[in-house]
Amino acid sequence: MLLEVRGLAAGYLGEKVVADIDFELSAGEAVAIVGSNGAGKSTLLKAIAGLLSPMEGQVLLDGRDLTRRAAHRIARAGVAYVPAERHLFPAMTVKTNLTLGAYPHRPDREVLDLVFDLFPRLRERLHQRAATLSGGEQQMLAVGRALMSRPRVLMLDEPTTGLAPKLAKAAFEALEGLNETGLTLLVAEQQVPLALSVADRGYVLENGRFRLEGTPDELEANPEVRRAYLGVA
Amino acid sequence: MTAVILDGIVLGLGFGLLGVGLTLVYGLGGVLNLAYGEIAVFGAIVVSQVMNRGASTLLAVAVGMLAAAGLSVLLDLTLMRPVYRQTGEQRTLLGLLLTLGVAFVIVGLLNWKYPTGALYIFVSGDPISIAGVPMSAGSIWASLIALGAAGLLLLFFGLTTFGRGVRSVIQDETGARLVGISPSLVRTSIFALSGGLAGLVAVTRSMTAPLTITQGFTLTTFALIVAVVGGLGSVAGAFLAGIVLGIVSNVSAHYIGEYITEIVLLGAAALTILVRPRGLLGR
Amino acid sequence: MAEPPETRPRRAAVLSAAVRVLLPIAVTAAILVVLPRFWFGDSPYTTGLAVEALVFGCYAVGFNLIFGSTNQLFLCVGALAGVGGYATAILSDRASLPLAVGVALGTVSAAVVGGLLAWIAVRRSLDVIFTGIVTLVFSLAFTQLLIGQSDLTGGDTGHVLERAATNLADDHVGGYYLFVGLLVGLLIVFRVLQLSHIGWAFRALRDNETAAELAGVDVARYRVYAAVIGSAMIGLTGGLYAYSLGFISPTTYEFAQIDVQVLVIVAFGGLGTLLGPVIGAATFGFLDRALTNSGQLREAYYGAFVIAIFLFLRQGVIPTVTSLVHRLRRIRRKEAEWRPSS
Repeated sequence: MLLEVRGLAAGYLGEKVVADIDFELSAGEAVAIVGSNGAGKSTLLKAIAGLLSPMEGQVLLDGRDLTRRAAHRIARAGVAYVPAERHLFPAMTVKTNLTLGAYPHRPDREVLDLVFDLFPRLRERLHQRAATLSGGEQQMLAVGRALMSRPRVLMLDEPTTGLAPKLAKAAFEALEGLNETGLTLLVAEQQVPLALSVADRGYVLENGRFRLEGTPDELEANPEVRRAYLGVA
Repeated sequence: MTAVILDGIVLGLGFGLLGVGLTLVYGLGGVLNLAYGEIAVFGAIVVSQVMNRGASTLLAVAVGMLAAAGLSVLLDLTLMRPVYRQTGEQRTLLGLLLTLGVAFVIVGLLNWKYPTGALYIFVSGDPISIAGVPMSAGSIWASLIALGAAGLLLLFFGLTTFGRGVRSVIQDETGARLVGISPSLVRTSIFALSGGLAGLVAVTRSMTAPLTITQGFTLTTFALIVAVVGGLGSVAGAFLAGIVLGIVSNVSAHYIGEYITEIVLLGAAALTILVRPRGLLGR
Repeated sequence: MAEPPETRPRRAAVLSAAVRVLLPIAVTAAILVVLPRFWFGDSPYTTGLAVEALVFGCYAVGFNLIFGSTNQLFLCVGALAGVGGYATAILSDRASLPLAVGVALGTVSAAVVGGLLAWIAVRRSLDVIFTGIVTLVFSLAFTQLLIGQSDLTGGDTGHVLERAATNLADDHVGGYYLFVGLLVGLLIVFRVLQLSHIGWAFRALRDNETAAELAGVDVARYRVYAAVIGSAMIGLTGGLYAYSLGFISPTTYEFAQIDVQVLVIVAFGGLGTLLGPVIGAATFGFLDRALTNSGQLREAYYGAFVIAIFLFLRQGVIPTVTSLVHRLRRIRRKEAEWRPSS
């Protein structure tokens, strides 16, 4: 069991946005958390990443308790998080952003090549400032930066935000490729078919709680899911 | 003319050094440290006290810089905590007011303990003429130190991993946390660095003329102006602003006159802020 | 002739409104007027300190209008007062104008300068900190100007006002009542503004500038209004202060002498409140007196006091007290609900 989340509850200003969250990730798995806007996906991921302090529950990485640790400690423990807002360093070049991803180590040549193989566009824009990149390129950079730390778990929050459908599909294909090399993935996404295309298992988050879980096939066959998220009557 | 400009650049590097400490602390935490000048003066007094006890100048300077750095860190670890808990404008205002109080405390204590305290480092050597401008040995040393410090700082922030980490916190604090950088550790380290720099500035200033306790406020305002004109949060900006203001100051002093120079300088600073509020190299 | 019945209730309403509006000021004025009899005795030193406190109180009311009400950090209170003070001195001595005219022109000049600064800040969309820095630079430049133009201003050595009422400089009590009058006058102006639609606009813009703009408040215009009126207050005070002192020099109106204290006074009393400046000035007046014998440690104690205030009493005295009172009222009301009826 690589990542365990037990009884997690988190929120803002005393109000719980997510509660009773229990799930596990085994090494090499890809898990998707789907839900509509406001369901609490971002809050959940932020609580695991340490950007938000959980109100209840525990987060364990390889048995190590990471609950309520500072975000930078969780990042160094091997949990890389790519938030929806990306939080790139705007005045720094693509190269420097990637280099910083490996902090405090120097960037690994192998990992850098891997990132460029995944996202050739980044090599083209190597010396361009992050703020001047397009939305899709910024997303690629954000993922690339997260990969530079050789994470044990990669968490992504709505990676397709602001991406055209073709780019979104390409992004998920890249994620699938990464997962196949053994990287553990946790993806929160509104676009259900895309999310389930890459996942081994999925959870449906509604009003801050897990409503359903299952394999992609099970979820897609579920009439509630079909109605609420797939637009099928 | 060239000589005047060159001299202005040298003067300006000193200004820049003054502004760097202040600009860094603001860039990292949104705090305008109004106690900056007093910390510099505190460092100077420590240096002079250590020298009075017979230590070598070099040792005294090192101790003084460490003392100033230590005082800065103390400030960060105690009074800055409630400031960092605020956000945005509230944080800047509270930081301003608290550091103002600290400035009074420091200058008050210094005045009480060392009412005639001053630091003057006499550098032996004959004046040398550089490009037609005679410079005292003290000036030359002060300029070399400022130049060296400027170079080291720019290298540090541009090339080292930690320096890059500092810049990243200034640009996007959350992003920095996500890549494993601890913003509070960076802040405390930079507070220490800014304190050390304050001490260094006091030392270089005291090489050309005695530095007294009353000069703390002037140092703070000057540092503030340089930092703002250069762009709050930019190290290179502070040096650039310093150089520009140094040249303006020297040219004006040479061709117009001492009194007007202060006003010209202040006017130039105000003009820059109005035309380009984010500063020469600010974002 | 008998009064028509309709005007009587209206008259009563207007009267009660006037009372409500002016009551806090009237109470303050009453306290200030009787204070010398109970507190100062015959000590000219204490009276002198009281005059200082009153002057700072007046500065603070002006600053409260500019910063407390419209969030413009004008770190040039001293300079604005200096405009008033030096204009009074120069015009009445060099130009041989009657003193009242000198003071009036000084007030207008300060108002113009303040308005100009606000207009520039608004045009360049300067935020709080940058407004502070620009006005600070102006402050410092103004002091330099005063020193530099020595033939006009007397430079470093200062300027003696020939037309000053010499009896005021010696008779502190006269000066005391002059400034009590000024302070009460300024408070009335502030109160009238506070309760008018202008005051409403001020509160809206302090609360949330963007929302106020969207609600139709012309933020720029109200800022300039506030700056003009506030600067006039400060300039008037500066002019009258010159008149009462009989002697001014650049240090009289220096940043370090005036602005720091005014900022702390207003923040301590409560930004934007009516009596905040009065309470702040009074507190710091007392503090000044208490620290008279501390010699060199004065500054250190002052600094420690400032730190303590902003750590523990951040909202300012009046807002803190007000919210405490509200909380107590709410508790008492809840208790009343639970008490069984007899």
